[in-house]
Order: sequence, then structure tokens, then C-alpha cells
Amino acid sequence: MSNEQIVFLLLFLAPVVSSIPIALAYKSKGWTDKLPYLSVFGIFISVVMSIYILINLEGQYPYPWIPDLGINFVFMIDYLSSYMGVVTAVIAFFIAIYGLDYMKGDYRPSWYWFCFNLFTASMLLVVYSDNLFLLFVGWEGLGAASWGLIGHWFRDDDDIAYVGKAGRKVGPLEFSWPPSFGGWRAISTIRFGDVPMFLAIAAIWVFAGTLNISEIDWHTLFITLGAAGTIILMVCLLMGLFTKSAQFPFSEWLMTAMTGPTTVSALLHSATMVAAGAFVFLKLTWYIEPWHLHDVPGLEYVFIFVLAIGLLSGFYGALCGTGMRERKVLLAASTMSSIGLMFAAGATSYWIDIEVAGMNLALLVAFWYMAIHAFAKASLFLVAGHLIHGTHSRFLCGDLEFGKRMKTAFAVTIIASSFLVGIPLLTAYWVKSSMDVLYEHLWLHHDMLWPIVLLIVISLLYSAVLAKFLSLNFIKGEKPEHEHLEGGGLMKLGYVLMVAMLFVISCGIIIFEEAAHFRHAGGEAMSIGVGLAILAVFLVAVYKPSISALSRFGSFLSDRMYLPYLNDYILPKIGFFISHILDDYVNPAIDGLFNTKVIPGLFGWTSRRVRAIQSGYLSRYINIVLGLVMIILVIVVILVRGVWQ
Amino acid sequence: MIMLYVLLLPLIVVCIAPLLSSKKATYLSAISFLVPFFAILYCILKGCTPEISIVTLSAPIGEIYLNFDYIGHAFGLTICIVSAMVALFALPYMVHRFGEMELNVESEFKKYIFLYQFYAVSMLWLVYSGNLILLYVFLEIALITAFFLIYFYGYGNRQWVGQLYLIWSLIAGVLALAGIIIIGVTNGTLALNALVPPFATVGMIAWTLIFIGMLIELPVLGPHVWLPWAHAEAPTPLSALLSPLTVGLAGYVLLRIALIDYSFIAAYRMPILIYAIFSSIYAGFSVFKQTDFKRLLAYSTVSQMGYMLVALCLGPFGLVGLVIQYMSHAFGKSILFSSAGGIIAVHHGLRDLNKMGGLHDSVPAISNAAVIGFLNLGGMLTIGMIGEFFILRGVVETFLIPESPSFLGWTGSIPILLAVIFMFILSVWYGFYTVRKVFYGKPKDTKRLEISRYYYVPLFIIGIVSVLLVFPPLSTALIPGLNSLIQTLMQLQVAAVGGVLP
Repeated sequence: MSNEQIVFLLLFLAPVVSSIPIALAYKSKGWTDKLPYLSVFGIFISVVMSIYILINLEGQYPYPWIPDLGINFVFMIDYLSSYMGVVTAVIAFFIAIYGLDYMKGDYRPSWYWFCFNLFTASMLLVVYSDNLFLLFVGWEGLGAASWGLIGHWFRDDDDIAYVGKAGRKVGPLEFSWPPSFGGWRAISTIRFGDVPMFLAIAAIWVFAGTLNISEIDWHTLFITLGAAGTIILMVCLLMGLFTKSAQFPFSEWLMTAMTGPTTVSALLHSATMVAAGAFVFLKLTWYIEPWHLHDVPGLEYVFIFVLAIGLLSGFYGALCGTGMRERKVLLAASTMSSIGLMFAAGATSYWIDIEVAGMNLALLVAFWYMAIHAFAKASLFLVAGHLIHGTHSRFLCGDLEFGKRMKTAFAVTIIASSFLVGIPLLTAYWVKSSMDVLYEHLWLHHDMLWPIVLLIVISLLYSAVLAKFLSLNFIKGEKPEHEHLEGGGLMKLGYVLMVAMLFVISCGIIIFEEAAHFRHAGGEAMSIGVGLAILAVFLVAVYKPSISALSRFGSFLSDRMYLPYLNDYILPKIGFFISHILDDYVNPAIDGLFNTKVIPGLFGWTSRRVRAIQSGYLSRYINIVLGLVMIILVIVVILVRGVWQ
Repeated sequence: MIMLYVLLLPLIVVCIAPLLSSKKATYLSAISFLVPFFAILYCILKGCTPEISIVTLSAPIGEIYLNFDYIGHAFGLTICIVSAMVALFALPYMVHRFGEMELNVESEFKKYIFLYQFYAVSMLWLVYSGNLILLYVFLEIALITAFFLIYFYGYGNRQWVGQLYLIWSLIAGVLALAGIIIIGVTNGTLALNALVPPFATVGMIAWTLIFIGMLIELPVLGPHVWLPWAHAEAPTPLSALLSPLTVGLAGYVLLRIALIDYSFIAAYRMPILIYAIFSSIYAGFSVFKQTDFKRLLAYSTVSQMGYMLVALCLGPFGLVGLVIQYMSHAFGKSILFSSAGGIIAVHHGLRDLNKMGGLHDSVPAISNAAVIGFLNLGGMLTIGMIGEFFILRGVVETFLIPESPSFLGWTGSIPILLAVIFMFILSVWYGFYTVRKVFYGKPKDTKRLEISRYYYVPLFIIGIVSVLLVFPPLSTALIPGLNSLIQTLMQLQVAAVGGVLP
């Protein structure tokens, strides 16, 4: 076995194997208290391996699986995957450390750690895989594990795990969701996109003759398919990515996924699951190289579609976030918004043919934004979890006095939120500046004004959302009803480590060759202007985080503009109506026809008639004989007439 | 030759097992299926596909032999592991059932294990039968033994349900027999190795008879109404074989006939496909309204059998998908029926979904096993995933490749694509909907029950097998073997017709 083989085996199997003992020992409390450390160690091995891969490996590593059919273990170590692998593993590791404290005394630790580690391994598979089938294995693993994690608190007995206020009705629908429902909704939404994606992969298998993303001749493939084929194939593929990444209108599952433990929200909804959709989009675009494919009919529509959905989701998420009052749901909405920006930035690559260090600028921007967002958002989620622990409330609360007592959390929140929104000179600012340049390019050279307008609006709203989170948790919020702040050492360690990574990325922006454009764009007048506007909005929102005059509009926004009606009311009503018709009318009808009424009845009737013949009454026999004679006569007459003529 | 002895082993156990005590008989039964299981695994890995001749009769029967090809191996593997594990599961369950029916446990168990073993072994022999008449004989044995099991040990109005099952199955069997006889008379043989294109043909009448018979056996929408009765009221170990293994064998028969002559399917592809998709979606929607757990699973079987019929219409890749779909459904459904049985045994006959909810607290192991079962049905992370992939490839090959006779083009095939996609989505929807309804939510009782290991360990073993089959070395050996066998037989037909068939 070669060195690389061992590295890959350890990378993917260590998390899974290390969590098998705890899964088996589910009955023993003594063991389930100790074995989580082993699970965390498994993730640590993945971290080491991913760093090893980043430093030492490059290119494609194929290993046979079903070679005759092109299904193989093919790993691609390129720019995207090598960095994303480290990001994923490191974030999972930090969250796992945090989880050691957070999940202490939970009623289902075996389930939690097994799903958590399975999830991490699946995500790594998605990141490194070059073979679409292998990628889809990881993809399904994400779906299944996320279902388990979101619905972890399956008993639905603790209000702290709900989303929405219990008993609050909006029209006929109760806006309150328990964890078991959150899990179900997640997997049902995701599955809605996965099957079309799988179909698209099958079509690529047929038409391209290979499943390896880097080996597919995308240009020939698209030309063979024609405009309609290209659009349908890409839309099928994108269905999987959009549902996974909770883009509009598939965003509801992400909001109700906040019923899971906070560690889960942090892992799934910052760097991994929801980012997986955007990441796969970037990975595909990386090899499709759409900026060279302007002769392919229909491809431009696909990218305009992605751009539009991304920006729409970005706008929708940020706008809804401004009205939200639940800690994690607010962060979820802002995550949706960020993922939208990643999709949109990636989609601009169709028009942007600017190379930086041999790579497409648009993809670089999207990718760097993804990395920054991952660490910043994970930190915020982890802080939110600690706050929920500390205050026993899912809702935004905490005044300055509270903030002073939670100094670490306060400081981490300030750093994470300000670094993420794009305040000048702070980490995300540089990447956002390049993003501004991309959209400016679309406006100036391709007559598309709407993207840049939307981008600026989203950036400002986004800044307001995170400022509100900061302010209402630590500065201007209500005084929490309960406070118990002791302990939580590992939790603090988790989010401090997490937020520290933002400084590491800042160093990357200063040093790396491919970040040259970021540094350059940060100095442009437009970027500075947008950055200052973001800063102004941030400060204003910290100062005045809620406006009581707008509270009705705010609750419309925090109800996600009544999008839950689509998921929870209209679609189930249709589905159950069909079920009702089929099972209450059609099935009994068929059953009645064959098994219980008509045909058995006919048999019974015939049988009774036949038996009635042998009754013994003379009159009946005479009747039968006379009847037969009459029939024979009639036949004879008919026949004779026939012969006569 | 060794394979013949391996297959004889469970057949011998049919006679021995009733002589032993219930526990010994159960273990003997399980071992008698595990030995062939490992032998088949070995065969798959080594690529050995022998044919063992038993006797050659005059026309129209021809050679009777055992046909150990990859298709047989795939089905045989499934039947062995499921039968072995369900045999173990059945030990505490049937003891509990006899107690419930106030029967003498030891003496009834002898009767039961004889029927069970005979039933399972007849299915195993069926898939290795190299002659259609032999195949028919084993089909009938399976039907009759299953009938007795329902009749003796079923729930509710079991005698009526048993008769219902028998009548429907006999209709199916007689139609199939008529078709088989026609094949025999026209071709002069019923041996599968002689019924090879381009010499062999299956006429329209024979195809129609077998097809209708097997539609009843599968079953699809229309004749499907016998199945919820039979599966719901059968004793659970029987349900756990009847639904996963037996009904799917109708798909096996159709597959064998299709590999002799695909022309019937090619001629009526669209109507069959639409019917199959409609049937699958119909049954999928019916699942949501069921209040009896076993009846719910029965409707899900109807839905899954729709997948198999869809796969039948989709050319060689679809046929490979059919085989894998059978395996995945068998694994999933045997786990699910067994978990339903576990709940019945542990919770004193609890079957009503409205009284369930939060059961994960009292029976976590059974609940987790059920999740694996539903993952199998949905084709997530288990062997079903590969099956789904082949079926989807079949869709692409059939409707989107310009050379295909059913070419519709991308825009033209949108309705079919959407329908197939929806069909696949539906099984995960109802699966996890059911998991939530049965196992999650506010528990009525948070006390963890101590339950016998027989109720869940066998289920996890099936689950592990279903996951292992996705990965090397098993899939590396099995899938290409299946694929090349089916592709070769289909190519022969194409050559015979002289065109591009499917």
C-alpha cells in the first residue's frame, strides 16, 4: 500500500472508525462519557492528514472500484480541494472540542458522535472527490448524517430545541417546529434535489464517457447536448446544489434545522453542508471553465440563472435576518445570504476572464469568501450556543452588564461579525472589494446593472443583521432571565480557536500571490465607499438594533415572508389530498371489486343459483325444461330463417 | 459440483430441523443459509459461474440443471442472508406468537420451522433453476408453504387472508405456467442455456400470459390489493420473507424472460413504463395514509415493485438496475418488517401508528435498524444507490440517446424524467415521515426496555451487508459481472434482430 493510499484511508476512515466504539457502547453511561474523546481524536487525524495533503500532494489519485463502469475512487488535490479540506477538517475539529463540553450529559451521545463523525467524513469525501459517483456517496452521507444530527433531540420535549414560538399561530399554521420535524424537513428537501442531480450525473456518465470531473470534456459534452440538453442537465445538477445550500425557495429546511444542537448548526451551516452546494458549484465551474465556452448555446442562461438565484437568496436571507429574534435562526438566515453571494460570485466567472496566479478571479473570490465565512460564522454559532446555554433562551437577549461577564464571547462576536461583513481593512473587506470589482465589470462591460445594486444592498443589510446580533446579545438587549455562566472552558476554547483562524486568513491575504487582486481592489474608490457604508450601517445598527415602529414588518420578515406556508401548508395539503383520494376511495374500490364485494359476490350469487337448480321441486324442473325448449325453438327459427333466405 | 452440495444443505435441513428443539433448529436453519451465503460470496469474488446438470428430459422440457450465473448469485446471495437472519429473528418472535395463540410452543415450532425452511429453500433453488419448469415448481412450493404459514399463524382473519393469497398467487402461477408451456412447445426446450437468442423466441401470447401473471405476483396497481392483506396479517417472519424475497421473484422471472426475448417490452415500452411509474407513485402516496405499520410497509413494497417494473423497461442498464433494486429492497424491507415485528413483540401487539411515537426511547436499537431499512429503500448509502444509478442511466440511454428507438430528446422526455425523479423522491419522503411518526416525537414511555438480541442484531447484520455491497471488493466483483452478463445477452438479441434494440 502506498503512502498516499494510507493517507486517504486515514483521512476518510479515521472519523468513522473512531466513532464506532461509542455507537456500540450506547447502553453504558460510563463509556459514553469517555469515548467522545476518541471520536474527537479521529477527527484530529483527519486534520493532520488534510494538512499533509495540502503540503505534499498534488494532482489526481485514482484507485479502482468498479473500473469497467468508470466508477472509481478518484481524488483530486487541486487548489480548491486542498484548502477546503483543511478548512473542513479544522472547523469540524474545533467544533468537536467545543462539543465535548456542550454535549455533556446529553441523552443520546452515541448517536450524536457517530453522526457527527460520519458527517465530517462525508464532507471530506465531497471535497476531495473527483469522481462524480464517489462525490455523490459523500453527498448522500451528508444528507443522512445531517438528518440524524438535526433531529438529534428527537423527544421534542425541550422548548430550547424548537424553532419559533410554541403555540404562535399565523393563520391556520402554527409557526413552531420541533427537532424531529426539522430533521424530516431537511432530508425531504435535500432529497428533492438529490435525485435530479443523480440523474444529471447518470447523463454525464452516458454522454461524457467518464465520471471524473477533471477529465470530462465539458465543451464537447455541452455541444453534443445542445442548448436544451445543456440547460436541462445543468438545472438538474443545480437542483441538488441549491437544495443542499438552502437557496431560495428551498431555504426553509435551513431555518428549522436550527432545532439541532448548536454544534450541529455550526458545523452544518457554516463550512460544510450548506457550503457543499456552493463548493461543488465552484469545483465544477473550475473545470467547466465557462469563460472559454461562450460558443456553447444555452450556457449563458444557466449562469444568469445561478447569478439570479444566488443574489435573490442573498437578498431574501439578509432581509429576513433583519427581522429575526432567534439567535440561531438569525444566523441561519445570514448564512443563506452568504451562500447566495458565493453562488453569485462563482457564476460571474462566465463573464470574467481575469487570471490571478493562473486562476480565475471570480472563483478565487467566491472561494476565499467561503473560507472566511466558514470560520466567522462557525464562531458566531458557537457563541450563540454558549449564550443559549448561559441564558436558557433561544431569543436574543443580553445587556452590557451581561456582555462584561461573558467577555470572551463578547470579544469573539465583535471580531467575527466585524471581520465578516466587510468593514474596511478587516479580513472580508479585501475579498468583498474584489467582489465589487467583479460586479462592476458586469455593469460596465455586459450591461448588467442589477447585480451590483443587489450586491450593495445585500452587503448593507448583512452588516445590519450581524450588528444586530452583536448588539442585542451583549449591549442593548434585555437582561437575561437566567444566567449561569460557570464552566464552559472547552466551549470558549472552541470559539477562540475558531475566530483566531480569521487572523490566519488575513495573513494569507497579505502574503499569498493569488490574493494580489484583493489587495489591489481594496484600494479602489468604489470598494472604499462601499466599505465605509457598511461600517456606517454596522455602527448605526449596533447603536439602534431594533426599530419599534417597524415591528409589524419585522415579524413579517422573521416569519420568512410566510414561505413556511409553501412547505408546511400548500404542499402537504396537496399531498395528503391525493393520499386521501387514493387510500380512502380508490383502494377500497379495487379491494371491493376483487376481494371483498363484486367478484366474490358474483361467485356467491352464481353458486347459489346453480345450487338452487337442485331444489327438488317439480315445478322448477318443468320451468327449466320449458325455458330450454323455448330457447331451442327460438334458435331453430332463426337458423331456419337464415337457411330460407 | 460443490455448489450443488451447498444448495442441498438447506434442503436437507428441511427434514432435520423439525426433529430438534426450537433453539437448535433455528441455529441449524441459519447456518444452513449462511454456508451457501459465503459460498456464493466466494463464487462472486472468484468469478466462478458453473452449470450443474441434473437430468436431461425429452422435448419440450430439455435439460434440467442448476445455473450459477451472476444474476442467480445476486438473487441467491440476498435470499441466503435474509433467510438466515430472519430465521434468527423469528426464534423469540414465534415463541411469543405461539404463546399468544395459546399453542404448545415446542410442537408448533417443529411445524413452523419445517414450513419456514422449505419456503426459504424453495426460493433459493428457484433462482438457480436452469429450467423454466423447475423454476415454476419452486415458485409453487414457495406459494403453498407461505399459504400454510399465513393460514396457521397469521393475525386477524388469517384463514380468509391465506385463501386470498393462495388464490391470487395461483392465478399468477397458472398464467405463468401456461406461458412457460407455450415457450416450451415453440422452442422445443425450457432449459435456459438453450433458450438463447437468436434461436429462441418468446411469442406474444406467452409473453402476455407470463407478464400478466407476474404483474399479479409483483404486484402492481390493480392486482396490488391482495398484498396489503397478506403482508399485514402474515406472521412477521413470513412477512419479512414474503415481501422482500418472494414478490420480487416475479421481477426475476420477468428478467429471465426478457433476457431470452426483449421484443415484448420493446414493443410496449411506453404503456408499461407509464403504468409502472403510476403504480409506484400511487402506492407511495397510499403509504402516507396507512395507520397499521405492517400495512404501511406493504404499500411501500408495491411502490418498490414499481421500480422493478420501471427498470425492466429501460434496456440492459435498467435490467442491471432491476437486479440491484431487488437486493436493496430485500435488505431494506426485511429489516423493516422485522423491526415492525420487534415492536409487536415488545409492545404487546402494537401496530397502530396513531398509538406510536417516541418509540426510539424504548427500543433504540430497533429504531436505528429501521432507519437503515429506509435508507435501503430510498437508495441512500446502500446498495440501492448503485441500483438507482443504473436505473437512471437506463432512462438516459433509452430516451436521450439519438440511436435508441425510443429516443424522445431532452425536451420531449421531460415528463418522463420528472416522473421517474418524483418516484425516487417519494420513497425517502414516506420513509423518513414514517420514522418520525413511529420512533420520534414525544415519547409516551421513556423507559428503555430490555429486549432480546435476536430482535435487532440480525437486522444490523443485514444492514451492514447492504452497505458493504457498495464498496470493494464485493461491488467490484458483482456489478461488472452482472453488467457484462446482461449486456452480452442483450447484445445477442440485438444481433438477432439486426438492429438497435433497446
